[in-house]
Amino acid sequence: MNNESINLSIGNETTTCYNVPIGPVHPALKEPIRFEFKLSGERIVGVDIKPGFAHRGIEYMGMRRNLIQTLYLSERICGICSISHPLAFTQAVENAAGIEVPPRAKYIRTIIGELERIHSHLLWAGVGAHELGFDSLLHVTWNVREKCMDLLEQLTGNRVDYAIPIFGGVRRDIPAEKAHLAYEAIDYYRDLLEKMLDLYLRDKSVEMRTQNVGVLSYEDAVALCAAGPTTRASGVKKDVRQDMPYLAYADMDLHAITPADYGKEAVGDVFDNIVVRLLEVAQAVDIIEFCLENMPEGELTSIPKVPALLAALQKAEGEGIGRHEAPRGEVFHYVRLEAGREEPVVWKVKAPTYSNLMGWVPKFMGDEIADVPIIAASIDPCMCCMDRVHVVDDAGNESVRAKQDLIKLSREKTRRICG
Amino acid sequence: MIPETMLSSFRDALGQALLDDKAIERTEGTVAPQSVYDVWITVERDAFHRTIAHLCANFEPHLSVISGDDLGDTLALNYHFSVGWGERYGEITFTVRTSVPKNDLRIPTITDLLPGAQTSEREKQEFYGITVEGIPDGRNLFLPEDMTIHPWRLDLEDETSESVKRLVKWETRDE
Repeated sequence: MNNESINLSIGNETTTCYNVPIGPVHPALKEPIRFEFKLSGERIVGVDIKPGFAHRGIEYMGMRRNLIQTLYLSERICGICSISHPLAFTQAVENAAGIEVPPRAKYIRTIIGELERIHSHLLWAGVGAHELGFDSLLHVTWNVREKCMDLLEQLTGNRVDYAIPIFGGVRRDIPAEKAHLAYEAIDYYRDLLEKMLDLYLRDKSVEMRTQNVGVLSYEDAVALCAAGPTTRASGVKKDVRQDMPYLAYADMDLHAITPADYGKEAVGDVFDNIVVRLLEVAQAVDIIEFCLENMPEGELTSIPKVPALLAALQKAEGEGIGRHEAPRGEVFHYVRLEAGREEPVVWKVKAPTYSNLMGWVPKFMGDEIADVPIIAASIDPCMCCMDRVHVVDDAGNESVRAKQDLIKLSREKTRRICG
Repeated sequence: MIPETMLSSFRDALGQALLDDKAIERTEGTVAPQSVYDVWITVERDAFHRTIAHLCANFEPHLSVISGDDLGDTLALNYHFSVGWGERYGEITFTVRTSVPKNDLRIPTITDLLPGAQTSEREKQEFYGITVEGIPDGRNLFLPEDMTIHPWRLDLEDETSESVKRLVKWETRDE
């Protein structure tokens, strides 16, 4: 800690403000990001957020590869959202190039998308429990998450990076003989829901740690353009699947889940975030069941041969937007194609954490330093989605010098702190 | 949200400053197909801020992201909004596009109207070298503070690829 920062005058008392940096690497954070907190006692009075530590230059790379290579690259933006980015990207390219998608492919995309929502929300719930110091609940939650991961493996061949969407359709079918596996998982999660609600929402210690902690008001959520469960926990009924339906979501009556669905007024605190995510698991189960029961027969893709697809894409000219409501919020891809070019001329990716970054500030303000881990986790941050460029400024001799400078600075800081 | 209502509102408010507008209709749903719309408008840079002011005053927009498009002499900026959220099939995407000449890379901030735009404005500053005038916090967001290259500028491609080569060399070094 260093107390060289600012003095705050509150009433007649003068309080010293401490700066506490957390991250980029810290046990409370699952991915690298740096917070610099200003603390008055235990209370957070200011926060500066520095992302960028997981930047890999994916958009830059994508704009230099052909569209199919870029599709697989988009899948690798994030392991947890490994269908969300391809879903948004394929829709953007299909809109730009005017490629039709057969109905059956839309349903298969939806099923995999919703399975991802189940495992992502359960992963988040487990992390949340861990941040609260409730590790037995973490293990219970991640144990039941395995059912979903196993099903994904049985349906697609992979636990992550499923490689299901291709421009114009999907690469794999969900045949009738495998559908029973999905039905088993549906029954499993239906039976489990009440138990999960009980463990998370009717537990005194969870209530005490999460209610009125990390509050994001309705007005802030709208003004700061927050997305996904983070904004819905504040009572904003915003969900791409409802607002601008696509894929199989266009065929079902679906509404954005807010705490009102749990009979509760939306506060926008961590508790409401848990409510929304657990209810969305139940909603995802219903969606999967709908898709299995109403799955149309027919083709899997409109252009099955990859060389023909590449040729069609190379002739395409235009721009398109693709959006998908990922587990964490809206994923947005913008693509511009030029005839004769096999790579996207422009590719812009927006991940949900990008939208929710600014929402962190009001969430942290006024809360205690001990609440930092659970508030940080409450938006379900995903740095690798948000940060997409990694640049090391200089190599060779200069890099060595930069490193030595850092070590020197670090030693100076240690001396300064130790007095 | 009906795109025609929005477009006529912008035509009235902007007059000559509205350079182009279009509404692209798509159909979604296999059982009962319904239309969804992507709306695009292009405005002059001088009228850009009042376009967004008109948007924020009359429609409750959500800014998804700002994308950039390096067109050689100019840099096109696409502000991707969505309007009309909250009800089924109620939303349209609404993109406001404006062009900025390369020799005068400036654009006014819209954070006074929509504070949530700051993240994306900061990103455009560092990746395209554009100055967002009036931005409350103009520091680099994703790139290091001392970074001098702007990776998404095509005219600076040589510097960027040089930097990428150095990065590859640095990452594959034998220590």
